[in-house]
Amino acid sequence: METSVTIMCTNFNKEIVNKYPDYHLIDTSFNVQSLTKYRKIIFFNVFNELKEDKIKEIFKYLDDNKIAYINVTNNIEEVLLTKYLIIYDKDNILIEGNTLDVLKEEKLLKRIGVHEPFICDLSLLLKDYGLVNKIYLDKEALVGDLWK
Amino acid sequence: MEIGNLFKNGKIIGMVSNYESSFNFEGQVKDLKVKNIEKSLKMVLLDETILDKEMKELTLSELFKIELLTKLNNNVIVVGNLSKVLNYKDLEYIKKLLLKLNNDYHKKIVVIDRDVKVFFNLVKYIYVIDNKKILYSTNDFFDKKLYEYTKCPKIIEFINYALENNINLTKTLDIYELIKDIYRMVS
Repeated sequence: METSVTIMCTNFNKEIVNKYPDYHLIDTSFNVQSLTKYRKIIFFNVFNELKEDKIKEIFKYLDDNKIAYINVTNNIEEVLLTKYLIIYDKDNILIEGNTLDVLKEEKLLKRIGVHEPFICDLSLLLKDYGLVNKIYLDKEALVGDLWK
Repeated sequence: MEIGNLFKNGKIIGMVSNYESSFNFEGQVKDLKVKNIEKSLKMVLLDETILDKEMKELTLSELFKIELLTKLNNNVIVVGNLSKVLNYKDLEYIKKLLLKLNNDYHKKIVVIDRDVKVFFNLVKYIYVIDNKKILYSTNDFFDKKLYEYTKCPKIIEFINYALENNINLTKTLDIYELIKDIYRMVS
């Protein structure tokens, strides 16, 4: 498995972490420096209150220290912060793969109540109108290409 | 702080704050003392099969809905952490339910969340609360000072970024209105 993974699940339940027994569970506030004592970490719903820059900083710290991590969240915007995405429908994996490839399955995701991240949703809609020809992952690139 | 004093013309208010639910019930769902529980279950998107479940078996989403169900008869309904426990389909439904409870049954409703997107098309006024003190209040989702306290929703971030780059997008909370605006400008 990839070293940085996001998991989303329709049946949002902490039980999901039991599927990854090798990973140390973090489900409450934590000290970033203390994470280095683990090689594998699974976060459960802990980043809701943090701004994106701070989450990126934590993930970079984990990458730099070669710590594998899984982020279980129901905030779709967080999926763009890892390279790999797994979507569970109840207890079973519905789809997994590189984040962008999974996000291209918009109909499948909508069927189970999972929305696209805003910037992907916007670029998919703009693609339908023929205004762009790919999915964007950041606003700077999208604005740059629309108004170049 | 008296919550009742914060209501503006009986509208639903939003609070940016931490929320710890005090709901703590052991046993099975059917043990809850709720009138017309079958009807109430439907209102919160649950079916009767949940009645035989133990509380500790419930998902976060189910627990939230059960907690809401127990509050439906209260005059002031306080709900929190919607963004943490509901998927977007359930969230949109629960928002409609809260609007109906406010409009048709005149319930006063306080929605507490760190995600301002939850408040879109729901609240008329937002308070930032810390340690029972009001730090800030606004009725403008595009008020930049609000986002000194919490995360800025992506649609607002996008529009603000465009405006900073002298692209004159209209301020909207609706992605389809934004698409129309972009289409008008670049096609």
